[in-house]
Amino acid sequence: MRYDPPLHKTQGLVPLLIALAALIAYPFVFEATYFRHVIILAFVFAIVATSWDLSLGYGGLFNFAHVGLFAVGIYTYSILAKTLGFSPWLSILAGGGTAALVALLISLPVLRLDGIYVILVTIALSQLIYFIVISWSDVTGGTSGMVTLPTLKIGDYRLSKDGRIGYYFVGLGLLVANLAFLYLLTRSRLGRAIVALRDNKYYAIARGVSEARTRALTLMASAVFTGMAGAFYAAYLRVASPDAFGIGFLTVLLSILLVGGTGTIWGPVIAAFVISVLSEWLAGFGAWQNIIIASAIILVVVFYPGGLWAAVQELREAVDALRTSLLARWRRREVRAREDRLNAKERFIETRHGLIAIADTGDKGKPALLFLHGNSACKEAFYKQFHAFRDMYRVISFDFPGHGVSSNGDPETAYNIAAYAEIAEAVLEDSNVADVRVIGWSLGGYVGLELAARANVEVQALAIAGTPPLNQVPIDFGRGYNPDSHLVLASKQYFSRQEASDFGNSATAPVSEDSAFLHRNLRRTDGRARLYMIGKLGIIDWPRQMRMLSQGKFPFALLSGSDDPFLNHDYIARLRYGNLWRGIPQDIPGGKHAPFFNKPDEFNMRLLAFLHDAERDRGDEKENTREIDREIDRDPGLGH
Amino acid sequence: MSDPALQVENLSGGYDPVQIFQDIDLVLHKGESIGIFGPNGHGKTTFLKTLSGLIDPWSGSIRFHGELMNRVGERGSRKWRNFNYDAVTRRRMDPKTVARAGLIHVQQGNLLFPELTVGETLSISSGAAKGREGWSLEQVRGLFPCVAERGDHKIRFLSGGERQMVSVAAGLLSAPRLLILDEPTLGLSPKIRQELCDAILTVRKTGMPIILIDQDVGFLEQIIDTLYLFDHGRISGRMTHAEMPDHDGLMALLFGEYH
Amino acid sequence: MDAATLSSVLQGGIVLGALYALMATGLSLVWTTLGIFNFAHGAFIALGAYIAWQFSSVDAWGLPLFPAILLTLAVMFAVGALMYFLLVKPFERRADVVLISVITTLAASAILENGLLLIWGPRSKQIPSLGSGEVALGQISLATSEIILLALVLAILLGLGLFLRYARPGRIMRAVSQNREAAELLGLNVPLYFAIAFGLSAATAGLAGVFVGTIRFMNPEMGTEPLMKALIVVIFGGVARFSSPLYAAFIIGMLEAFSIYVLGLYWAPAVLFITMIVVLLLKPEGLFGNHQRTL
Repeated sequence: MRYDPPLHKTQGLVPLLIALAALIAYPFVFEATYFRHVIILAFVFAIVATSWDLSLGYGGLFNFAHVGLFAVGIYTYSILAKTLGFSPWLSILAGGGTAALVALLISLPVLRLDGIYVILVTIALSQLIYFIVISWSDVTGGTSGMVTLPTLKIGDYRLSKDGRIGYYFVGLGLLVANLAFLYLLTRSRLGRAIVALRDNKYYAIARGVSEARTRALTLMASAVFTGMAGAFYAAYLRVASPDAFGIGFLTVLLSILLVGGTGTIWGPVIAAFVISVLSEWLAGFGAWQNIIIASAIILVVVFYPGGLWAAVQELREAVDALRTSLLARWRRREVRAREDRLNAKERFIETRHGLIAIADTGDKGKPALLFLHGNSACKEAFYKQFHAFRDMYRVISFDFPGHGVSSNGDPETAYNIAAYAEIAEAVLEDSNVADVRVIGWSLGGYVGLELAARANVEVQALAIAGTPPLNQVPIDFGRGYNPDSHLVLASKQYFSRQEASDFGNSATAPVSEDSAFLHRNLRRTDGRARLYMIGKLGIIDWPRQMRMLSQGKFPFALLSGSDDPFLNHDYIARLRYGNLWRGIPQDIPGGKHAPFFNKPDEFNMRLLAFLHDAERDRGDEKENTREIDREIDRDPGLGH
Repeated sequence: MSDPALQVENLSGGYDPVQIFQDIDLVLHKGESIGIFGPNGHGKTTFLKTLSGLIDPWSGSIRFHGELMNRVGERGSRKWRNFNYDAVTRRRMDPKTVARAGLIHVQQGNLLFPELTVGETLSISSGAAKGREGWSLEQVRGLFPCVAERGDHKIRFLSGGERQMVSVAAGLLSAPRLLILDEPTLGLSPKIRQELCDAILTVRKTGMPIILIDQDVGFLEQIIDTLYLFDHGRISGRMTHAEMPDHDGLMALLFGEYH
Repeated sequence: MDAATLSSVLQGGIVLGALYALMATGLSLVWTTLGIFNFAHGAFIALGAYIAWQFSSVDAWGLPLFPAILLTLAVMFAVGALMYFLLVKPFERRADVVLISVITTLAASAILENGLLLIWGPRSKQIPSLGSGEVALGQISLATSEIILLALVLAILLGLGLFLRYARPGRIMRAVSQNREAAELLGLNVPLYFAIAFGLSAATAGLAGVFVGTIRFMNPEMGTEPLMKALIVVIFGGVARFSSPLYAAFIIGMLEAFSIYVLGLYWAPAVLFITMIVVLLLKPEGLFGNHQRTL
């Protein structure tokens, strides 16, 4: 299931509250009543457009009678409040009720149809309502409509007084109620059923979603606030006219929906304001007004089909990329602190995927160890290993692009496991290392497996920590991991403070003096690196890694923390490969997802033992191959 | 030495954003036929669709008789995720151009034009044959007598085998210089299958180069000179006719002890 | 109802039916080939009328009517083809092409209608009549203009039908509509035939506009109502065969003529819409249809 936290747990709440506060403050700051009128209309459009989005965007039901539902609200108010003399406030509520009832009637033919036929039949229904309205002139006033409708009052205070400030706040209240309703609905069971029916109808039905009931409820839910908005619109303008059925009104609403972005609540809200203001601004241009708006719609859907909401997302992404990139650049200056921590030299190389920071203890004579860090971490995570192994080995690690102090990369090409493996090759080449022992942690474990499978460098031994090897992706993904953990955050682009510390705590260690630098580093990681890495899992040839492991060409160790919250330990425990160290996966008692960090001594001991065993095995093997070579030399026929 | 009939270099592709196959190298010399064998769902059909231009390749090149069929080079970076690049970028390959050059692809389970009659279908099938000498309508009718009999029937009413025959017939009328057959015998009854295999063999004997995908090693052996093994979106092996093992041998090669 | 009234109602029904047949054929041509619904079809009707007025009116260029009609058809064909390349082709491979094309064609319709307003102004115009006088057939007398209209419509629809059935480009148009990929693999120029389909559709819409313009006064929104009628006809008849909208058009024309006579001008459209909804409910693929989308 997709990770979808509620609003107050993400960074969406603050901008929303700011926008609401601005809208509440607006009429007290600016007195101009005409512009206030434009905003009241924008409230109405926003309600109608977002409600429409429930059926069209979320439900995939092309209900083109939605404008008709709005008109039903208008006429309900007109007839109840004026002809029958009901309370205007009750008439507004009744507008929602009748619209929902009409929506139920509309849903009857819609249930039997699909695709373009839904568009056609709903247009026809909308026309039918229109013709009923203009034909039934005794009640509806026919083509001339109804005028001097009752206005809204609280006690004796008419809402149109003081520059319509009363209408402004009723409209705003209605919009807020509508948005809250839609927000809760889309997150409810019904909301998930609506989306499921859109995305995969037959699967949803097979899983017990009732198509008829869900579709009828979708249409009715989208009608309630639309009808109330229509009634409010009639109470505000004090006229009801059949123009509300016109193609013009339909086009404006459709443009709000499309320019804002379908399938989101907030996009159409923003678009309602933008388009209302724009169309008001263009009102002086006569026929050009419609031409310009229509051209804008075409440009948006042809070139940028996601609309404003997608643009907001993309802008946010650009800002976040800039932030992380500047942060990395700034932190590059703290080179002394990092070198002191690792007791190793730092240098930078330019690769196909950007500037990469390498830490290297640099003793050319010693055998080389390459450490590969995990998702949203950095090379300094291995500082305990740098200290422990530097006497016997040359220890090398580097920051993946978008991590640590390496630069951000092109998300399409740089943020995936294959690219990281490619960079590892470049790092080894730059370090003049021909054969290497690789230790990969978590994401780095997959990078290590891929590096070995690519076989461009000679991997003499491979140890992975916190990484379940996968055969079938994404099926094994669900098996290898514990999906209830904070692992769900591993692919989330933006972290709130809470999420950052949740993920940091689970992936490395809870904040302490020792681990503070890891938490500090987490916020530097380019969010796109998380997003694209998961998105590009498919480009990896996973079975090639598995074939390689089963052939057992080099010693391989599985070192996992026994208390690793991310892993499914049963899955790990069952793994067997040709050349698995000690025959079974090894548990580090008490180790978490980063066992080398929270149980360094235990981890280092095992790693050292593994490296020794690997060296010894290789020695034996070399003897063996030498034997065989000698055999072949003696008998040339044997080689064929 | 002259250019090979078909030279595929480093071809990668898939359905954006999912890559299906990568780094395919394949050479087909003039007059030669090749087979592609591999498990289902590993990208063979996607690869063929890319060869014939139905899907844009991501990188690499396709040369047909020395002529470049696609615009080469990496795809431009699609930096703005929500921008509709299809509206501003030209396609890198055009199936029409490929077909008119004589590379004719007969699709797997081809539905053709359900509401057209067999005769109508054959009458519009020479569109790609501009300036080249192809099979004539009489020759095609001779090859598939049962197609000739059912000229006035709508394709919708034909059996799977007959439909496949019409597909091959339509391909032959397009004056192919190379015929791609994607599992032509899939799901056919033994009798119809034999008829179709015989017809394909007849076509092959006229010297027509063929790229054949099929799961039947016996049939492949009759048609092809070289076999490519296709596994996980890559060419995992290449063998000449003489080196070809039987079906079980191939399966072992593909799946190893893993199978 | 006496015989004279009956015959005049029938006559009205037949003329309406002919006009609807022309509009619906154009609409279904695009629907069946491209699988999209062209909401600018109504604007095409208005555009055709205005262009024909520009060519033929003594206040404008003053050409004789029939050359003016031919020129109008040529211009409309070009407009339709252009519309395909600008508004459909850029996203025809997207999964949501149906919804997007609804929006772009609606927007195009707004642009065209407002463009007409800018160019020709809001004043009502009329195209010279197709012919004058009446022809007596026994007891019934028919207006010459109506006979010409009927003859032209039938001739054009027959020609279009034969073109699709027997001409190679027509057959290819049917083929590309049924299986785009297979057509591409046979080396057929699919976008070209899509553009031709759009062009032909626009030309028939333009012709319908010319006819409407000779009968009524023109205004930029004159196409909206005919579009709705064409929509009813297409749904009512289905699009299984080229001929299905034709039968439907004459049935709807008759139904409308009779309901206007019986129920009055205002309630007649409601009858049509209810009829259409009932047909959709009972037989979504149309009265003469089957599920296959084809020409």
